[in-house]
Amino acid sequence: MDWTDAFPVRKSVPWRALDTEALVVDVKGGLLYPLNSVGARIWDLCDGARSVDEIVGLLAAEFEAPEPTIRADAIEFIERLADAKLVSIERRRTGESR
Amino acid sequence: MAERAPHIEVAGFVFRVAGLAAPGRSWVEGRYGPFLSRRAPSFGVHVRASERYRPGRTPRPSATWNGGRFALASHPSRAEGDLARRRVAFRAGPGPALNPDLFRLLCSFLLMQEGGVFLHASAVVDRGRAWVFSGPSGSGKTTIAGLAGARAVLNDETIALRSGRRGWEACATPFYGSGGPAMARVNDRAPLRGLCFLRKADRFAHRRLSPSEAVARAFPEVMLPKRHARVTERLLATLAALAAAVPVWELTFAPDPALWTYLDGLD
Repeated sequence: MDWTDAFPVRKSVPWRALDTEALVVDVKGGLLYPLNSVGARIWDLCDGARSVDEIVGLLAAEFEAPEPTIRADAIEFIERLADAKLVSIERRRTGESR
Repeated sequence: MAERAPHIEVAGFVFRVAGLAAPGRSWVEGRYGPFLSRRAPSFGVHVRASERYRPGRTPRPSATWNGGRFALASHPSRAEGDLARRRVAFRAGPGPALNPDLFRLLCSFLLMQEGGVFLHASAVVDRGRAWVFSGPSGSGKTTIAGLAGARAVLNDETIALRSGRRGWEACATPFYGSGGPAMARVNDRAPLRGLCFLRKADRFAHRRLSPSEAVARAFPEVMLPKRHARVTERLLATLAALAAAVPVWELTFAPDPALWTYLDGLD
């Protein structure tokens, strides 16, 4: 999958930040997803205004890890959120409004 | 002549239960005996035995609300209420006159509206403060209640937690578990000393949970259906407030009265 023009958008589901972590609830599936601090930050950044590239760039500035590692982990995490139908992926060119 | 209607007090709510025929009233007074109250009612419950038996798959309990009106269901009974008028119509159906499962759901729903929760938990009062022990069935809630000795047991299955003038409190409920009615003999409350999520073992150990872990562990144990987004959002907010104010541990325990000494050492 090409992630260069992908903009993840959080679905309207109940969630709550707790310290640096977060809990997200899939109401239909009756599941609760605990997110660690990195997951919570990615979830917070999935606001539809940032591309995956921009999210990876912000994470690389905030967390100490090689950028390729952060990219791979972030994409895998966003894919899992999308599989769980907790985020949707919008396709558009960077700078193009929603 | 005014109808004789029992008043039942649970976690600060006083329900006037009307519409019961004599046998039903007698059953309610026996089942909820320790929780009968002389205080003025804060909520009116009108029971109608109008819900018919419907064959087929038992539907899951549900709780929805829109504006001031709400609907609750716990097969074979259901209830519809109005928060502003503080009234609820209880359609009992076959079975007990005031179905404990639905009545518990009603109490839990109303407590959620006031920023509290009904938790799948037992609670024991030790030197004036309540230890609350939560976890799924088989985790040891009733076992711990059985270790209470002379300490007061608030319940072995269902505990109401609410924030009051003295901070968070644990309140007794009439909704007991495998320990039977003996586990709901006293309608009392006590300030919360701590909340423990249980794991049975042959030794004692503990780990303090982060707020996120605490909410994640408590969420499944809240006695409300969680398939309504507004209910879920409210619960997350309440549990986050609870986890911020009260110490929460994972407790591995052996069924030994030394438990109480061990708990004294938690910080």
